[in-house]
Amino acid sequence: MSRYETNVVLYRLKKDAAFRARFRADPRQALADADLTEEEREAFARWDARTLNDLGGMLHLLISIPGLGSH
Amino acid sequence: MGRIVYAAAMSHVLYPDYYGQNVGPHGRRMVEELIAVVRDMGRSLTAAAPDALVVVADDHLNVFSFDAIPALCVRVGRSVNRMIQDGAIEFDRALEGLPERYPVHEDLANSILEKGMQAGFDFAASWSAPLDHAFLSPVATLYGDRAVPPLVPFWVNCFVTPQPTARRCFDAGRHIARVVAEGPWNVAVIATGGLSHFPELSLARVGQSDPVFDRRIVKLMESGDHDSMTALTAKELHESGSHELLNWLVLLGAVSPARARVRFYGEMGRVDLAALEWEVA
Repeated sequence: MSRYETNVVLYRLKKDAAFRARFRADPRQALADADLTEEEREAFARWDARTLNDLGGMLHLLISIPGLGSH
Repeated sequence: MGRIVYAAAMSHVLYPDYYGQNVGPHGRRMVEELIAVVRDMGRSLTAAAPDALVVVADDHLNVFSFDAIPALCVRVGRSVNRMIQDGAIEFDRALEGLPERYPVHEDLANSILEKGMQAGFDFAASWSAPLDHAFLSPVATLYGDRAVPPLVPFWVNCFVTPQPTARRCFDAGRHIARVVAEGPWNVAVIATGGLSHFPELSLARVGQSDPVFDRRIVKLMESGDHDSMTALTAKELHESGSHELLNWLVLLGAVSPARARVRFYGEMGRVDLAALEWEVA
């Protein structure tokens, strides 16, 4: 589990609109260089917020990414 | 000799639309009642005419990234901006329409930082961190259209483990009180956040609060039992969703042994709301 990298990606999704657009268009491509486990990568690709949270993704990031976050 | 002329703590999402959308009409009504109380508290705060307002609050992963998370951070510099976030969720839509920039009380902020270093508090310093709803929703509600005094924003890492201990936050508040006493300024101190919500920071548990815990905490502050407050463990805070009490613990340290007076307490379910004042004058 790479809690740090998961949260780095979440933070970037929140703050970097261009990265967020690339992620929404093609999540696997956008995360190609991210140091994630396959489980984490899959959770991002499906935008499975519960699993990302279980894997160490911070709640406050998960709920506040424009267009993706909800609670 | 300086003194603390006003002290209070309060929940910090003072934005009815958030509760209306996520809780329903009773949530909206409850926070509207709280907002009316906080506005009234603002009249007392304004009457106390502080030279500076110390605001103790937390970052919601808005400001500090995982590059570095300060345990305790003093905002220094001459001014501070409100946070700009595109597509902000309801929490931070509370910031829309507020002034973009606020003055910082540079001398008090530097004194807290520098005397802290001398006293063994390795505070982080930030010259650029902006303020999110945790700071500005209460400040804007307290002051309304009145001029806001120079601020000293003080961040506590409430959410990213490992957090500072309850005892350490209390001791940081004692330090702030000493700095105020040694200086020439009349200072107001507020802490924000809470009460219990988002237990375990678990998405699956969003919507739950812990009213039994909250009743106990409020009673401890009413009775001035600060030993029990500083004995709170990270586990207790995490499981009950009371992470933001660490902000309140800084305030308790600043005002101890004063007892709290409850101005508002409400059990909403999703989050329990409160506003307390301390008799410091």
